[in-house]
Amino acid sequence: MSGVIVSAANVTRSFAMPAGAVVAVRDVTLSITQGEHTAISGPSGCGKSTLLHMLGCVDTPSSGTLRFDDQDISTLNDRARSLLRLRHIGFVFQRFFLLPMLTAAENVELPQAEAGVARDERRRRTLELLEYVGLAARADHRPSQLSGGEMQRVAIARALANRPRLLLADEPTGELDQATGEHVASLLDRVNADGTALVIVTHDPEMAGRARRVLTMRDGRIDGEVTR
Amino acid sequence: MMPLDLARGGAPLAFAWRSLVRQPARATLGILGVAAVGALLLDMLLLSQGLVTSMQDLLDSSGFDIRVAATDPIPGKPDIEDGAAAAAQIAALPSVSAAIAVRTEDADIQLADGRPTRATFAGVSGGRSRPWTILRGADIRGEHEIVINDHAAQAIGVAPGASVTIKAYCFGGAEAAPAIPFRLAGIAEFPFDAPNQSGAGTTIASLADACGTPDARTADLVLVTSSGDPDAAATAIAALRPDLRAFTNTEAVGQMQQRGFTYFRQISTVLTTITVSFALLLITVLLTVSVNQRLGEVAALRALGFSQGRVVLDVLFESALIVGIGGLLSLPLGAALAVWLDGILKRMPNLPAALHFFVFDPQALWIHGGLLAATAIIAALYPMSIVARLPIAATLRDEVMG
Repeated sequence: MSGVIVSAANVTRSFAMPAGAVVAVRDVTLSITQGEHTAISGPSGCGKSTLLHMLGCVDTPSSGTLRFDDQDISTLNDRARSLLRLRHIGFVFQRFFLLPMLTAAENVELPQAEAGVARDERRRRTLELLEYVGLAARADHRPSQLSGGEMQRVAIARALANRPRLLLADEPTGELDQATGEHVASLLDRVNADGTALVIVTHDPEMAGRARRVLTMRDGRIDGEVTR
Repeated sequence: MMPLDLARGGAPLAFAWRSLVRQPARATLGILGVAAVGALLLDMLLLSQGLVTSMQDLLDSSGFDIRVAATDPIPGKPDIEDGAAAAAQIAALPSVSAAIAVRTEDADIQLADGRPTRATFAGVSGGRSRPWTILRGADIRGEHEIVINDHAAQAIGVAPGASVTIKAYCFGGAEAAPAIPFRLAGIAEFPFDAPNQSGAGTTIASLADACGTPDARTADLVLVTSSGDPDAAATAIAALRPDLRAFTNTEAVGQMQQRGFTYFRQISTVLTTITVSFALLLITVLLTVSVNQRLGEVAALRALGFSQGRVVLDVLFESALIVGIGGLLSLPLGAALAVWLDGILKRMPNLPAALHFFVFDPQALWIHGGLLAATAIIAALYPMSIVARLPIAATLRDEVMG
């Protein structure tokens, strides 16, 4: 399939619990192609974050097949999956998870260093990304010196550090007020417009409405899909 | 602040440093704890071998490397009936460069009407070697000349050239022989004297005179200087005089190590184990708390593509930093503590002034470093396993729900 970055075929994810197995995602089939903008919405506990984690290769299906770049993820060991995430996938989290002891620039530089990018190239890329998210002036600030919106913008810059083809965002505006959330949502739109495939998990109908494709989940299944 | 060079090889250490100092109070507590434990550990290691090393140094510094004693000494009697002759026989061996017979009794030394001081009174015969070192004045040149140590000189208030009287207590007897006059030739240092102990030395014949028994032949032991190979000399002495027993300094120290000094080694081993265990617990608890507080960050890093090995290495490096910095601080702290404890232990009576319980030994430093390094690794095992086994997706989910 040309242009497909990640595809899930009949993917199910269940968790063993003391009271019995809980199925978070049931028999989901979908694919994410280059440059697309998808939102996954649905009520709490419907399995959307679990699906996002599987698409991002941080979790593995209990059954079904997940392929990234046409490669079966189940054949990759932890190291190979880490490398895949490092080079091809960016994550934006609801709680930012910036490292508090590093400056904004260092947070953005860190994944590049892990990917073995040369120092000068890292510095150049970091500055470029901080300018992209409008925070070049805050490069030397620690997360504690930034507002929630600024922290999320740094987190987006960090997620883009290694030029991923797929950006996954789990409730990226969940911790932000409406105005700040709008700012972050616009930034994500711009990231997608610049060519990065974007998958957003969100409760927010407005946020979901910005996507060209909206998948609605219920009880672990995709029970609706709207494409514009 | 440590610059964060994020190059792949250098990043974990700088990263660990930043992780460590983000909680300055906890980092300080950990480092100080390791410094205190490391200081105790160093002292225990110094104590375990200190007395042995010090005794070896003391024996070696005396200028004699073999001690010859009777095989079956009789209590209350000199050990070697023909000490002077034995010393002469031994001195004639090709593997021996000098041998002197030594007899030791107790004596009161005093000026004519002055207050006496009780001294260990040694008599020597044979070559020109002496079990003392002259500090002031001259060595004994003839009969009825004496050298005394500084403590004795100060106790009775004399200087070289003065006349003193000696009342000797011989063969362990409580009754003194009649006082006889001696000329004080010089002030000497006796290496085995305790700090508050008076000591005196003369010829074996003069000591016999002081004892009132004109037998200048008997001796307690023969001190021997080998020609360079003490083992060969000891073997030659044993062959020459099967009735005597020759110990090299190393053998003598070895025997002490097997008997009296085992006590210190055992204490040291027990306390070393306790201190290392304490350090292990301290670092494990600190690192575990620290790691548990940032599980979300670790899971996020893993989601961003950091390998399992990399996040595990960060924890190990954090442990290494705590132990490394604490370990470095422990060296001056341990040295100061050792000096203080040595001073306390040396207050025990009748210990030679030159004997120490804590002696610096490069090997102890290596063991100290090795034990601390092992502590850093073992203490980090549990927090490392937490990070290594961290389920990324579940942790990210829990962090959001929490």
